[in-house]
Amino acid sequence: MAGELEGSKSLSGLLSGLAQEAFHGHQGITEELLRSQLYPEVSLEEFRPFLAKMRGILKSIASADMDFNQLEAFLTAQTKKQGGITSDQAAVISKFWKSHKTKIRESLMNQSRWDSGLRGLSWRIDGKSQSRHSAQIHTPVAIMELEIGKSGQESEFLCLEFDEVKVNQLLKKLSEVEESISTLMQPA
Amino acid sequence: MEQKREGERLLQSICSPLKCWSKMKGKPAVPHLPSTSIIHLLVDFQWKLGMAVSSDSCRSLKYPYVAVLLKVADHSGQVKSKSFEMTIPQFQNFYRQFKEIAAVIETV
Repeated sequence: MAGELEGSKSLSGLLSGLAQEAFHGHQGITEELLRSQLYPEVSLEEFRPFLAKMRGILKSIASADMDFNQLEAFLTAQTKKQGGITSDQAAVISKFWKSHKTKIRESLMNQSRWDSGLRGLSWRIDGKSQSRHSAQIHTPVAIMELEIGKSGQESEFLCLEFDEVKVNQLLKKLSEVEESISTLMQPA
Repeated sequence: MEQKREGERLLQSICSPLKCWSKMKGKPAVPHLPSTSIIHLLVDFQWKLGMAVSSDSCRSLKYPYVAVLLKVADHSGQVKSKSFEMTIPQFQNFYRQFKEIAAVIETV
């Protein structure tokens, strides 16, 4: 029975399923679904602790956002533990984290953002060529549409109009943000 | 999108759609302007550069973000606030788009 839990292809699939459920918000990935699809020969009683162990390992790695050195050290320690993992399983987990780390991290970042995010941005320039009350000719305006939304919710669209003066005022503010970012990113 | 404001205004798109419509990465090139959109004027723009350090689902978040608070007014003068966050790459794209707007609007 234990041998069936060691298959690397099944473990790879299991980790994908766990990641979908734990990080990417995919509903409906039950332990029975994972067992029947990936380890059909294994009983639920035996599968359950194995699943819990793999889920725990994956969550620890993701929570610490482990780099590859930390990952190697962590997985090596897991192979030496009583009731830990085999070195083949460690290799599968290592490969999985290397290829899915970025996407999992992005999901974790999204999960921790509770305000709306900027989902889209589009703009055009219009020329105001005629007005009843004034002789405005060729006054260009920028129309910008922002698509914003909270995680799992529908987008809201906000349409803004800027004349050239406003565009430059906002540009100045944005350059201040950029400067702050540069200061933050400088090595200490 | 025709917004009847003070007097009449002939909205004339000067640029071709390809030049003027610029979408964030991954979105289709077709411009989207839902008919329910009211055009607002930007009254105030406040920003904050934050660093998410840790959360209950991730002990080692360590990502910087830009939080923005917009105050916008509609044609009746009613002001409302909108806030949102951007990752650093999203902000840099936002800034780049705005520089493009400034460059184009100057030439019109």
